[in-house]
Amino acid sequence: MKHSAAVLMLLAMPVFAGWQFSPAVEVGAAGDKTVFHHLESANRKGLGESGGRLALAWEDNRAGEPRCWLAVREKGAATFSVPQALSAGECYEPVVQGMGKGRFVAAWEADGAVWARVDGKGQALRLSGAEAAHITLARADERTLYAAWAERAGEYKRIMLARLAFDAGGLKLEYGVPLEAQMPEDDQAYPAVAVSADGGVTVAWEDRRKKHTMILAAHSTDGRKFAAPYRLIDMPQVRTMNLGAGMGSMRPTLARCGPRCLAAAWLDKRDFLSGYDVFAAFSDDGGRSFGRNVRVQDSFGDNMAQWHATVAANENGRMVAAWDDERDGTADVWLSNWNGREFGDDIAAPDASGPGTQSDPLLHVDAAGTLHVAWLERTEGGGTRLKYASATWRE
Amino acid sequence: MNILNLRTLLTALLLGIASVVWADPPPDYPFVSYDKGLRLAQETGKPIFLYFGRYGCAWCDHTNKQSFSSAELKKIYPEHFVLVYVDAESGKRLKLPSGERITEAELGARFKAFATPLFVYLTPQGQEIFKAPGFKTVQDFKDFDRYVIEGHYKTQTLLEFLAKKP
Repeated sequence: MKHSAAVLMLLAMPVFAGWQFSPAVEVGAAGDKTVFHHLESANRKGLGESGGRLALAWEDNRAGEPRCWLAVREKGAATFSVPQALSAGECYEPVVQGMGKGRFVAAWEADGAVWARVDGKGQALRLSGAEAAHITLARADERTLYAAWAERAGEYKRIMLARLAFDAGGLKLEYGVPLEAQMPEDDQAYPAVAVSADGGVTVAWEDRRKKHTMILAAHSTDGRKFAAPYRLIDMPQVRTMNLGAGMGSMRPTLARCGPRCLAAAWLDKRDFLSGYDVFAAFSDDGGRSFGRNVRVQDSFGDNMAQWHATVAANENGRMVAAWDDERDGTADVWLSNWNGREFGDDIAAPDASGPGTQSDPLLHVDAAGTLHVAWLERTEGGGTRLKYASATWRE
Repeated sequence: MNILNLRTLLTALLLGIASVVWADPPPDYPFVSYDKGLRLAQETGKPIFLYFGRYGCAWCDHTNKQSFSSAELKKIYPEHFVLVYVDAESGKRLKLPSGERITEAELGARFKAFATPLFVYLTPQGQEIFKAPGFKTVQDFKDFDRYVIEGHYKTQTLLEFLAKKP
């Protein structure tokens, strides 16, 4: 009786637009409580789509040391392939970029350098000339992509950008350039790259030159020569107490949301009493500038720290931000949909929320508007599981 | 705004402008990385004093200058604790006893280091005893030292312990 009444109540409720999720599947199961998966990477770029195929890159210690892995879900399949190792030795923070027609390029850090390789074949290509980390990728067209990373230049690391050519012969390094000619004054890290329809390249990164960690961005019309960096974060009009050299902001992510539309999201400590918040900004000129910063999470998440923020979008303006926070007692993955005017109410991804710890989301929004989400589930007995689900938007 | 708040605000503004605020660990203390600190604590049986700082954090710098400059703290903290410093925004890697390799920023997330400085006192086995966020005076650090080193944490909360202070 109670059940029937509940069904009737549900039927009587108005239908709201929202994401309809598929059941979650496990990816790269290790079945070992001493295996820990990690989804951290520059621009949180471990999930990519190409011609209906989906690729997920991560690092775990199933081989006894941290190694990078890639698993692919074929078009129409429900599950992912057995993981393939991206490199033979210790490896960190892998990323993957779909290049169209089912092809992918992956990149990672190993042996103090950054590398890239076409998925499933070809030799790994060393991109860095000195100690390097935090590599990420962005597609320009079917034959061209950009890689950005942090590379040592003197005492500190600075952001480098390389253009890579991609064809049947594999991957070739066309050139690599520092974003700024001068030596870095302090550390630069965790770049995110986006390419607009006119071929312009925008890079956002963590920068400590002002003696606090802030997000800078720079734009290039040709992907080689960059205009002077500019600040992506708004500074408070009235200096907030206790911020010292400045508020902390970290781990920028960038997504293209239209021919000249870019979205950025990052973790931001301007409201320092409640830890990091998720902030976002938009560019409508292909990354030459960004507008004012907007807070992403809703008021229910304001009094606690957000972690592992990311944003994903497609050309049609479908855009979603994700992060994890503990507003319901334990870490859950939360999503916020951009409705064209603002980020909407936060929603918990169904299988990435509830008892236990679900965190570290990766996002991808494909051309059809399907949302792909991967995340980590921490098990009570130890170790982690890697999970994936997709969602479609229902009006 | 009342006088007290105004004074606090002005102090903070002056502090923010006048200080060199990149908040490394305080000088003259043997701070080590988290993974090395866990190993040292197991070897020596000393509890761990874990300091989460942030680049540009004014109150970390203020704590370093106002409190950790104390000759008394410089003597007792290295004697009583394994001292660990973590940059809560850093991508520097460390290895946990479980074998998991994570970054210092990720360690901050797991310790819920939402504000800096955050001071965490841990048993030699790495179990959390208590956390103390924000600026702390020399006397605070001396009280925390007694609470941990004399084992009071095993029978009473920090607030109970502090309330009984003469």
